[in-house]
Amino acid sequence: MARLPGWRHGWLALVVWSLVFGVSAAQSAEKIFPFPVSVFELDNGLKVVGVDYDSPGIIAYYTVVRTGSRNEVEPGFSGYAHFFEHMMFRGTEKYPTDAYNEAIKRLGADSNAFTTSDWTTYHTVASADALETIIDLESDRFLNLSYSEDDYRTEAGAILGEYNLNFSNPISLLREKAHDLAFTIHPYKHTTIGLLDDIRAMPEHYDYSVEFYDRYYRPNNCIIVVVGDFDQAELERLVTRYYGAWEPGDFEPAIPVEPPQAREQTAEITWPNPTLPLLTIGYHAPRFSDERIDMPALDVLSQLLFSQNAPLFQQLYLQEQAVDVIQGGAVDSRDPPLFEVIARITKPDQIAHVRDAILAEIERFKTEPVDDAVLADTKSAMRYSFARGLDSPGPIAETLGHYLQLTGDPDTVNRVYELYDAVTAEDIMMVASTYFADSNRTVVLLTEEER
Amino acid sequence: MRSLSRPLCLALLASAVAAAGCGGAGDTPPAANGIGLQTPNSPLVTLRVTFETGSVDDPAGKNGLNALTALMIGRGGTASLTYQELTTTLYPWAASIGAQHDKEVTTIIGEVHRDHLEPFYEIFRELIVAPRLDADDFERNRDFLTNAIVSTLRGNDDEELGKQTLNALLYAGHPYEATEMGTERGLAAIMVDDVRAFHAARYTADTMLVGVAGGYPDGFLERVEGDLTAALPPGDGSINAGALPAPRAVDGLELLLVEKDAIATAISIGFPIAVTRADDDFYPLMVANSYFGEHRTFNGRLMNQMRGLRGLNYGDYSYIENFIQDGGSTFPVPNTPRSQQFFSIWIRPVPHHNAAFALRQAVRELALLVENGLSQTDFEATREYLVNYSKLYVQTTSRRLGYAMDSRFYDTEFFIDEIRSRLETLTVDEVNAAIRRHLQADNLAIAIVTRDAEAFRDDLLSGEPSPVTYNTAVGDEILAEDEAIKPYPLSINPGRVRVVPVEEMFVEVS
Repeated sequence: MARLPGWRHGWLALVVWSLVFGVSAAQSAEKIFPFPVSVFELDNGLKVVGVDYDSPGIIAYYTVVRTGSRNEVEPGFSGYAHFFEHMMFRGTEKYPTDAYNEAIKRLGADSNAFTTSDWTTYHTVASADALETIIDLESDRFLNLSYSEDDYRTEAGAILGEYNLNFSNPISLLREKAHDLAFTIHPYKHTTIGLLDDIRAMPEHYDYSVEFYDRYYRPNNCIIVVVGDFDQAELERLVTRYYGAWEPGDFEPAIPVEPPQAREQTAEITWPNPTLPLLTIGYHAPRFSDERIDMPALDVLSQLLFSQNAPLFQQLYLQEQAVDVIQGGAVDSRDPPLFEVIARITKPDQIAHVRDAILAEIERFKTEPVDDAVLADTKSAMRYSFARGLDSPGPIAETLGHYLQLTGDPDTVNRVYELYDAVTAEDIMMVASTYFADSNRTVVLLTEEER
Repeated sequence: MRSLSRPLCLALLASAVAAAGCGGAGDTPPAANGIGLQTPNSPLVTLRVTFETGSVDDPAGKNGLNALTALMIGRGGTASLTYQELTTTLYPWAASIGAQHDKEVTTIIGEVHRDHLEPFYEIFRELIVAPRLDADDFERNRDFLTNAIVSTLRGNDDEELGKQTLNALLYAGHPYEATEMGTERGLAAIMVDDVRAFHAARYTADTMLVGVAGGYPDGFLERVEGDLTAALPPGDGSINAGALPAPRAVDGLELLLVEKDAIATAISIGFPIAVTRADDDFYPLMVANSYFGEHRTFNGRLMNQMRGLRGLNYGDYSYIENFIQDGGSTFPVPNTPRSQQFFSIWIRPVPHHNAAFALRQAVRELALLVENGLSQTDFEATREYLVNYSKLYVQTTSRRLGYAMDSRFYDTEFFIDEIRSRLETLTVDEVNAAIRRHLQADNLAIAIVTRDAEAFRDDLLSGEPSPVTYNTAVGDEILAEDEAIKPYPLSINPGRVRVVPVEEMFVEVS
């Protein structure tokens, strides 16, 4: 499955109305990641990160591939990182598809994968005694994947099906348009699922899929994360045995550098079915760093602007009830991403007002220092939110995997949280002024088509 | 559980106390209206409080009252704090309070780091016993629910639209008919005083179950129980005394086609079954269903035949109870138990030109399941899978708690333990007998969300075979089977076929 970065767990979910303060970072004098971490690396460059976590009888086994739709640099080939994620379930000579599925079924494992703009992850949660079987199955498909052209073409139908289900939601169309406008040459111009024309052409590009595997499914481009009830020495022994023969690669994609945006971009699009107006406002933001303050300061600012504690949220959502959803932020990314604000506006005649209110609040943070107590509350919320996310092996592996795909270093998570702790009111004014310039802005409005 | 009289139900709850500990280390001693799963090393604490109130309790003409009341707790203020003050207080703790509402049970869920448990609990408690229920919270939450129906459901999510359309068709005239959010007109008719009265009448101690999990201190569960019981109206045990009426019988293949400008065709198929987790046949049917259509895995025959071999769409699954996926996981959300259930098939959006073929294939696969059952080999593999996989349902103490509470509703042992013990002694003959008792392919409610619905209807009614188009050459075996699928007879009941514009869906109940 392809994931929308950021709002990936159904931000318009209808069943559970929950008051969750979704944030992604924190600070503390002690290290934010609270569990013991062990790291070792094979000669072929495969890094293995083990996390000792108290989950009797359960392990999470994640294989992180540091490749996503960011790597889709050739025109006409958007969506291949995600497509390739699907092909990884199409079997090997040792374990053809049916045998692989049968083995996973016997384990009673929860096994799947997802793709984002920067990384692809294959994840399994299963009984701890399944460790060697999982390593056998996973190493086999990473070293020896083998699929026919017919299988490849058949899977293209499933990709189109996934596109179709995503695009019954107007947010997919909105984000696709915003990224297309905001980026000129960087692959972030297209979303992870890919462009419809490219998806329709996928069945004809079997050879490219094989090339994609050869380029990126290499040990020095992958990191294994294991969390839960396992023995570290046994893990090292098994990984060495099963992955040792994997040949490293040397492909370096020529990912174009996006030039600075020269002027504001705007667009209005329509949706053929019932919908409330959706507004997105995007700004090019700094790439992820665990050394520079810009990105952490922008993350804190996103909380000051759009959390349920934020004056703007309270004005538009609670007092005026002009929006029923408003969110904003930038996803941690290897290249400069888009800081995206999305608002669902409850009444069409409030569109201009909502847009102006968001822009006015952004302007305020350029010159008005945030109150010390508010800043402290924000950092506290981020720290506790991080802790709340670490409640079982899967989420812990995914959290660590997220930071590992960015830098390859398991201590990045701790360093970036130290940076959050160091963010000052001046830093926030600095990043607001630097990144929230009019010329750096892209605005897309989606409304219901008139019938 | 509504099919039981209240005094009997209370007696069963008391007798089920020992089971509610779920076998987890550190479980606190059982309590009359509470379940505790204490894990001292955990820094997190979850509170779940259920009330046996749901959309079935909405008064006539006011569908959505239960949802709106729940929402005004989950997204509203308390007697002493406005919602804005409440959110400002919770924010530095990254604590959450939410309300989950379904047909028969509503759950208030709180999650907090133990550093802030005391002040958090005070707010949580007050939200339940003395919610603010003021005009501001009312307007905002009613608009949100209305928009969730008229905008999000009708226009932003064809898969959910298909499922809710199936529900409306399946349960026409039954208390389950309306969505869990209500209806457009029902919500419009509700006044804030209706919410206040509903809260007073439905949030009573006699239908409450308290659950606490995680790193909470000794005595906390009993304190929560005592506080809530003392502050809420006691209730007289009669409010849910009557059993729900039986759902109507589906008569042949009934079609409800929703016309909209859909990018692809979404299909949901189903019929009521007289089986819940409380019944012996649930467990053999669970095996049959997993073999046929386990949610979001390649274990199911539907998934392998429709997506794996033919690439028709992204996924094809089946269910023997209402299924709501918990966030990004593949597991069902806890605390949505129901006293009546249905079997369903979910066909994720199919390109329009292959939709009729996909429908025929799904119906034919169901008929084959009923006719052939499972082989011994399939049975053993599926049983082994379920025994292991079901352990993953409860990876967090919060989810474990939710399932323990659901087991109280159904008056069973802890669900995960029940699966293991029941499956241990199960035989393939019992599975196949349960299939024959409860599943069939002749009387099906079919919801179809599509573009040009009238043409789709006419195509199905014409009796002409349904063609299929593939991206690639497929094997002779598949082509041969396709020749059986294309003309597979659909015994559509022409008197039970309707095409409805999407704007007319969920306006009110029938």
